Amino acid sequence: MANRPQILTDMQVSFCGSAGDGTIAAGDIFKRAMAEAGYQIIAFDVYPPEIRGFGKCIARTRVTFDQVYSLKPQSDVLLSLDDSHAIPHVGEVRDYGAVIYEDRPMATVEEGEHMSGHLKPAQLPYGVSFRELSERATSGARFRNIVAVGFIAGLYGLPRDLFHRTIGRKFAGKPAEVTESNIAAFDLGYDDGAKTFQVDINGFGPPPKRKKSEKVLMMHGNSAVARGCLSAKIDTFFGYPITPATSIMEILAKEMPKRGGRLLQTEDEISAVAAIVGAGFTGSRSATSTSGPGLALMTEVMGLGSIAEVPCVIFVSQRGGPSTGMPTKTEQSDLNLAVRGVAGDAQRIVLAPTNVEGCFKCAGIAFEIAEKYQTPVIVLLDLYLSNRYEAVALPNKNPFKLDATKWAKKPGKGDAYQRYKLTPDFISPRAIPGQQGMQHTITGLEHNELGRPNDQPAMHEAMSHKRHEKLKTAINYPNLTTSKRFGDKGRVRVGVLSWGSTFGECLEAMITVRKQGITCSAMKVVMISPLPVDEISRFMDDCDVVLVPELNYEGQFASIVMGTLGRPVHRLNRVTGTPMAVNDIIEEIQILAADKPKRRKAAE
Amino acid sequence: MKKPLRYAIIGSGAAGTEAACQLRLRDPESEITVITASKLQFISRYDLPRVFEGVDDWRELLVYPPEFYEDNRITVRRNTWVAGVNPRENKLNFRHKEEMSYDKLLVASGGGGYMPEALREFLPYMNPFSTFSNAARLRDSLGKKGKVLMLGSDMVGLDLARYLTSAGHDVTVYANELLFWPHEIKPEDTAPYVKALETMGIKVVFGRKPVAVEPVNSSSKAGKYTRRLVFEKGKAELANVVMPFYGLMPALDFMIGANVDIERGLLVNPELKTTNDRIWAAGDVCQIWSPEENRYSFYYGWNNVKEMGHLAAHNMTGDNREIKTAQTNELKITKKGELHSPYWEHD
Repeated sequence: MANRPQILTDMQVSFCGSAGDGTIAAGDIFKRAMAEAGYQIIAFDVYPPEIRGFGKCIARTRVTFDQVYSLKPQSDVLLSLDDSHAIPHVGEVRDYGAVIYEDRPMATVEEGEHMSGHLKPAQLPYGVSFRELSERATSGARFRNIVAVGFIAGLYGLPRDLFHRTIGRKFAGKPAEVTESNIAAFDLGYDDGAKTFQVDINGFGPPPKRKKSEKVLMMHGNSAVARGCLSAKIDTFFGYPITPATSIMEILAKEMPKRGGRLLQTEDEISAVAAIVGAGFTGSRSATSTSGPGLALMTEVMGLGSIAEVPCVIFVSQRGGPSTGMPTKTEQSDLNLAVRGVAGDAQRIVLAPTNVEGCFKCAGIAFEIAEKYQTPVIVLLDLYLSNRYEAVALPNKNPFKLDATKWAKKPGKGDAYQRYKLTPDFISPRAIPGQQGMQHTITGLEHNELGRPNDQPAMHEAMSHKRHEKLKTAINYPNLTTSKRFGDKGRVRVGVLSWGSTFGECLEAMITVRKQGITCSAMKVVMISPLPVDEISRFMDDCDVVLVPELNYEGQFASIVMGTLGRPVHRLNRVTGTPMAVNDIIEEIQILAADKPKRRKAAE
Repeated sequence: MKKPLRYAIIGSGAAGTEAACQLRLRDPESEITVITASKLQFISRYDLPRVFEGVDDWRELLVYPPEFYEDNRITVRRNTWVAGVNPRENKLNFRHKEEMSYDKLLVASGGGGYMPEALREFLPYMNPFSTFSNAARLRDSLGKKGKVLMLGSDMVGLDLARYLTSAGHDVTVYANELLFWPHEIKPEDTAPYVKALETMGIKVVFGRKPVAVEPVNSSSKAGKYTRRLVFEKGKAELANVVMPFYGLMPALDFMIGANVDIERGLLVNPELKTTNDRIWAAGDVCQIWSPEENRYSFYYGWNNVKEMGHLAAHNMTGDNREIKTAQTNELKITKKGELHSPYWEHD
């Protein structure tokens, strides 16, 4: 409409359909086009474990002018490709938001099962003939999803050519007719949207202007991990597919051979982790990826990595558990396993990025840390972060060191090389097989400085001390943000302490409550083990009360914090299989800020 | 426990919405569903000209806020087209292939603008004026000091014309014998009323028969104009918009086969009941039997329409009241010499 004030974009679009409807593909085209236009993007797809014909798929994309940190609790647009799945989500659309649905279905609709009967009075209905338009464009109904993308683009006046380019790229490897059909379907949808009067008051304003030097890419957490691995010049990858970690391996399988790397799909997770320990022993930068059930299988061999002091990296994307659990739902419930799931008295380094850019950084720096401290490093994601898309500005220069090893010098004549030499910094100079004069053995048995089995009390004590103490200095590893505080400085009413993917929601909640007049800070903790105790302690000193929201039943991070620091925190736990709702955190902060001592006491 | 009655109301205008309100009052446990093709909740046609007064947000024009429907448990199925009524099974068939059961049905679907057969093919180049989107598009097409050509015109068109002239636009009416419809003014009596229109800044031209409306390329000699109205004998007039106002045609296609009597409108008795015991009608869609006049008549105007919705709801819930006109039909000229019609009055 004319004479509208220019809007600062903050639109969340949700595509909802059944597996096989092309819901995720529609969302993918939409978000890629928006990212190319220059908007900030956060996107997250939810899909069922079944391959096709069952279950609900939702692709949500938040498109913004300014940087944001999570999806919104309510979407501005819900597009239904299958009303039976989308109807339960109508309540997630804001007042005066748009609900777009099929108004010429192929088959008879049972009474009460059409979207038009479920809209709230303040929501805006757009009935569109996706099927008919698809049939008109391509003689088939399977391009309904692309018609739907076209309709949204036309309705909100988004550039047509931008989507043409995105569709072209998406189907680049396929016969030309595939791209042509998709573009024809898109165009008919676009034309229909363009001639439809947009009653929705909100819309898309112009995107922000980017610096020319900035390289902005849209990627999800797993692709950022893969890119981090490639930037760190990973040599070998061994893995066994498991949702939601599989795409890390898929991307590396394509990219590593081009760069001289080797990737092998092993027969199971035990083989995978054994292979990376073996590869790490030889000096190869090596990694695997898995999820909770795979990590459980890997723990024994990771113990070998700890005692043999072999650098290797394990990427873990958590999902709902225990056991097979909920493979396509998110959860943060493998923290205990990652930090403490080990036979014997070993500590390991665990990093948990909080956003997609963090996935890139943590992935690359994990190799440095593993080499520097000669130990397995776990990088802990979850399904939400693995699959969440963001527009990420990557540095043009490779930020990672390609060798962080403290190498051994050739021993003097008559001296034996001591692989596990006790040193003031607890890190033994390292050598790899084939280095002249530095032959040595490694073993899972406790050993002496030469690496020979030795179970004498003093030796076990000395080696245990060495293995623990060397990790403590990892807190100070350069260029690694182990924790960071945001929001109000100084004394605050409520502090939110968070880790992993949930931090985005915490940040959004903190920003909201500050606007409501509550003094609030949020701290993200990226290094979970060893824990940056001093920073957390200083943060807690400043807070009247500390809230720890996380997606597990027990409050695993809260327990680690309380156990390590001996200070009370207030837990907020959800195990819905979905990301933490920002409103839940806001509500909890409001309750805590309102000072309800009874409730707080009970929680503590 | 007694099963709540299901009332279906086709149409969310003044009659349908008034009926829904009354039904809720008189049958608190019932299920009330209003079906409308509109995307928006009820906006009065009479408020649409406010877009020319700077109202840009349609929410300001809503007769009732969304909460009203929630609070009163009135379901409004918007963007929904009724394709047919199945009187044997008491079901509505929607265009999107869903059925909806009802116990009692009120048809209050109103009327659409009538269009002479010869001009129908040119509809894409004309601007209707019955929804907010129509009004907003009209405003955008006109810009500042736009030129409007009204065809036929009636009291709905003349109502809009007075707002357009007040907003600085140039309005010419190419009139026919139905210029003051639904007022029944004899041709020999129209002169003072035409003069009153001219006092209001509305130009009235008789005797020019439009035969075509064409789009005009804005890069041509037409300048800012985008439409050409062509008359018999080849003469033409340029403008920003061309608008048809040839009276109302009851929107009733979906009632064909519903086992009710239809003439021009849906025929009802003075209690607004059709020939089907479960179906009533109200508003511009119905022709009401008048025993005094011994004929079926339409009752137009906001007050009449609203009263019909009110009465229908009462009769659907057990009353047996007869309709009486709620307003006069007298076309007046004010002291300023301007025209005033009771059909322009509303709440």
